Amino acid sequence: MLAGKVVVVCGYGDVGKGSAKSMKGYGSRVLVTEIDPICALQATMEGFKVQTVEDSLNEGNIFVTTTGNKDVITIEHMAKMKDKSIVCNIGHFDNEIQVEELENYPGVKRINIKPQVDQFVFPDGHSIILLSEGRLVNLGNATGHPSFVMSNSFTNQTLAQIELWKKDFEVGVYRLPKHLDEEVARLHLEHVGAKLTVLSDEQAEYLGVEKSGPYKPDHYRY
Amino acid sequence: MAELMVETLPYKIADINLADWGRKEIELAEFEMPGLMALRKKYGTEKPLKGAQITGSLHMTIQTAVLIETLKELGADVRWASCNIFSTQDHAAAAIAKAGIPVFAWKGENLEEYWWCTEQALTWPDGSGPDLIVDDGGDATMMVLRGNEGEKNPSLLDAVVKQIDEIELLKRLKITLKSNPNKWKKAAEKLRGVSEETTTGVHRLYQLMEKGKLLFPAINVNDSVTKSKFDNLY
Repeated sequence: MLAGKVVVVCGYGDVGKGSAKSMKGYGSRVLVTEIDPICALQATMEGFKVQTVEDSLNEGNIFVTTTGNKDVITIEHMAKMKDKSIVCNIGHFDNEIQVEELENYPGVKRINIKPQVDQFVFPDGHSIILLSEGRLVNLGNATGHPSFVMSNSFTNQTLAQIELWKKDFEVGVYRLPKHLDEEVARLHLEHVGAKLTVLSDEQAEYLGVEKSGPYKPDHYRY
Repeated sequence: MAELMVETLPYKIADINLADWGRKEIELAEFEMPGLMALRKKYGTEKPLKGAQITGSLHMTIQTAVLIETLKELGADVRWASCNIFSTQDHAAAAIAKAGIPVFAWKGENLEEYWWCTEQALTWPDGSGPDLIVDDGGDATMMVLRGNEGEKNPSLLDAVVKQIDEIELLKRLKITLKSNPNKWKKAAEKLRGVSEETTTGVHRLYQLMEKGKLLFPAINVNDSVTKSKFDNLY
């Protein structure tokens, strides 16, 4: 049960923000770790205590990595965690948690509970539970994202494929233009019962945008 | 595994008998994916991806199946692998295989199999590579680029690396180098572009560009607002 447990969310980027909010919604007490002062301030002002992994080891019941960095949960951390702490990763790669170091830790015993759930018993008797061997937990232990949110991502993917196939780009990294981004959102509004307000000519002129968009400058952060 | 590489299989998945279950869930998912269905409606007759050979390296789930069939409906010739050894939904893969789309993915691959699957998805029956890649995390892109570098300088494939994923990639590339020493050079030349799904893959792309190692254009899908401010968050 998540309610009442202490969840340590490592990283407060887009994925960390979603994880922390979700865990809070389940009734967990959420701690956040961050290296970026901006994200740390955001977390604090959402009501999450920001501290280090080291300082969370005697409190945390569940540790989630969302950072995109490596060695976020180290073997030294896992050796000091509370008994039966759950450790998992929802960043893209499995190097956020030192899994190989855990497997090779002297005297550690691995007990497979079921597919993608492994208990590691340390020589001092405490154990941790590692999900999906440190790989993406939402896909390894569940079935990934719901269709509606993936429709947004994949509509972007499809538009990107059409762009690449139809146009000649120089070597480089590009983003889709904002009017396509807005179009993706527009395509999903009806399904969730939203009705857009339409700018009047005067309002559009006042803002200095076209009535049909794009509505924001590229530097706008949403 | 190694000897399998000389031929291209129609598909390799866990169990084709799961296809009907997969199809039912795909049909339910279509209702919840209005953006993709709107593109099918808009472009279904025009077929803007006609002639495009597309490799996907992206979690082979029910939702991805709807993406794959959208690309197909828009005219593309698609091959697919997962970008994670645990992320495939076997019933989704089965439905895609039964629809006649080459897919190489099952839940619980080992890393040797993982790179074999990625290479299969990148290899058409005539031995050529894709025109376009749908990437998630950059593994398919990396296989082409590292393969190409390894053909120019085979000692790079003997590099001492720590990450087990990378060790297995280099093993796979060495096997291919023996049987087909120009494969990745040709693949890199043919590629028109990559669209990248996730933060990590985008980070890799910018790093490659800074080092002058990127050989083809790429679109950063992750930083579309309607991607990272929704998918990443939820």
